[in-house]
Amino acid sequence: MTTFDQEAVLRRFARAAEDAHAELTELDQRSGDGDFGDNLRGGLRAAVQRFEDGSGGAFDALGEVFLDEVGGTSGPLLGLLFTEIAHALASGTDPLTAFGEGTRAGLAAIQRVGEARVGDRTLVDALSPAADALVGGGWAEAAAAAKEGADLTSGLRARMGRASYVGERVKGAPDPGAVGIALLFWVAATVAEPDASVPSPLSGVTG
Amino acid sequence: MAPPLHPADGDPVPPALRGFAKAHADLVRLHEDPAHLVARHRDPARRVGLVSGGGSGHEPMHAGFLGRGMLDAVAPGKVFASPHNKQVLAASRHAAGPDGVLHVVKNYTGDRINFGIAAERLRLEGIEVRRVLVDDDLATESDETATGRRGTGATVVVEKLLGAAADTGLGLDDLAALGAEFAGASRSLAVATRAQTSMHTGRPSFALEDGELEYGVGIHGERAQRTISRPPAEELVDRMLDEVVAGLPAGPDEVVVVVNGLGGTTLLELYGLHDLVSDGLARRGLDVVGALVGTFVPALDMAGFSLTLTRLRPSWKPWWTAPAITPAFPRSTAPTTEETR
Repeated sequence: MTTFDQEAVLRRFARAAEDAHAELTELDQRSGDGDFGDNLRGGLRAAVQRFEDGSGGAFDALGEVFLDEVGGTSGPLLGLLFTEIAHALASGTDPLTAFGEGTRAGLAAIQRVGEARVGDRTLVDALSPAADALVGGGWAEAAAAAKEGADLTSGLRARMGRASYVGERVKGAPDPGAVGIALLFWVAATVAEPDASVPSPLSGVTG
Repeated sequence: MAPPLHPADGDPVPPALRGFAKAHADLVRLHEDPAHLVARHRDPARRVGLVSGGGSGHEPMHAGFLGRGMLDAVAPGKVFASPHNKQVLAASRHAAGPDGVLHVVKNYTGDRINFGIAAERLRLEGIEVRRVLVDDDLATESDETATGRRGTGATVVVEKLLGAAADTGLGLDDLAALGAEFAGASRSLAVATRAQTSMHTGRPSFALEDGELEYGVGIHGERAQRTISRPPAEELVDRMLDEVVAGLPAGPDEVVVVVNGLGGTTLLELYGLHDLVSDGLARRGLDVVGALVGTFVPALDMAGFSLTLTRLRPSWKPWWTAPAITPAFPRSTAPTTEETR
């Protein structure tokens, strides 16, 4: 078992959000108010800053910034996930188990608050299969499951959030929140298993 | 249209919060970052902190109901926008009693999510939290959407009853269950003759011709599903009473009624309407044991009113008449059955 470098995940996630900004913005403009790319990139930039200035772990910084400073609905919901992962990573069990437990706890919190189920075209569609895969499999399986879950949102109508107002018109492209989650698990896998080949969740068409 | 008299360009909420806190310095304290207000006094028997909040533009709700006998802390959002979860979190930390915190939340997606996130954070800090959802607006009753009825005028009734119940020393679970019963026994309906002035354009947010009435309007300028030609007040009240009484779940015949101005309606009009409402309720066999007439839950300066009925169980009656020492809840809510002269 290797150690899990939280700081590397934070920094690579921040870089990935810079690369994904245009694609996430375009996805969110199809169905929401178009601010998800800004919120994710801005939150990650602020989290890197908070981490460098503070004494806590990288996921603590992520949780604090996304809960307190990031706008939109999805920002603080991601903050709940990061906070649960931070708590789990601090518990001392091995990183894969801890990340799995934190992800499950974060998923549960997000579902209590947002009341979204799998199939509602939200970030839960990527997070739920990733949580299952972390428990039954490993990092690469979780990344693949999150990517598959995000891809599948292309065929879904939204039942929650602003995207629910535009009905069938959101179909044909994935939910940006789900893609953001897939990005996190892709980054986590590339840090935890540098030798594994894990496909990026970004389509690259606009990136 | 004349623009509103806000102190300066920009967000009108912070100066209003400061002015409110100065005007009621004996009752409330303001914390500006993140913005929340707390009551200075609470009954020592109270074990659960009562916290509410929501968009601004509905003054005196919620800050006007801070104080002994009602709320312990509130989180005011920007105009018509949910407060941020960190405001709710800060308000809840201040309010928490030995048995935790009860959130009183009007049923809007943003409020539900932000109070929900704050609740998760409070649980991580070891503070017990429950939620009472207020969803009284019959105009939004539909089997087709998952969002449910909006929360409107019944919020004042729920907050009053919960405050007095909390002062009997009840625990969190009991209070949460009671709050759900209070909200469940309440239904409302609102009408408007003129939209509120838009903060952005200085003009009415939607157009109504003379002689038109928005029937089933929301408190954020959400248009109703129907615009009808305006009936005389007698006919209008009758129609609204029919709908609200029909929408109320079965229960006792004693009711609390709220005739609430939406911001641009005079007390002269509201009391005249209440005369019609009281007579109409008596004709329907309902006994008015408590009435609130005034502007409690407005939509900025919208012209119109909402009508709320709550079926009051006998055991709830003392909670309605118990004194509340707050900036905005009328202190004399006792029914006038025991006249002294």
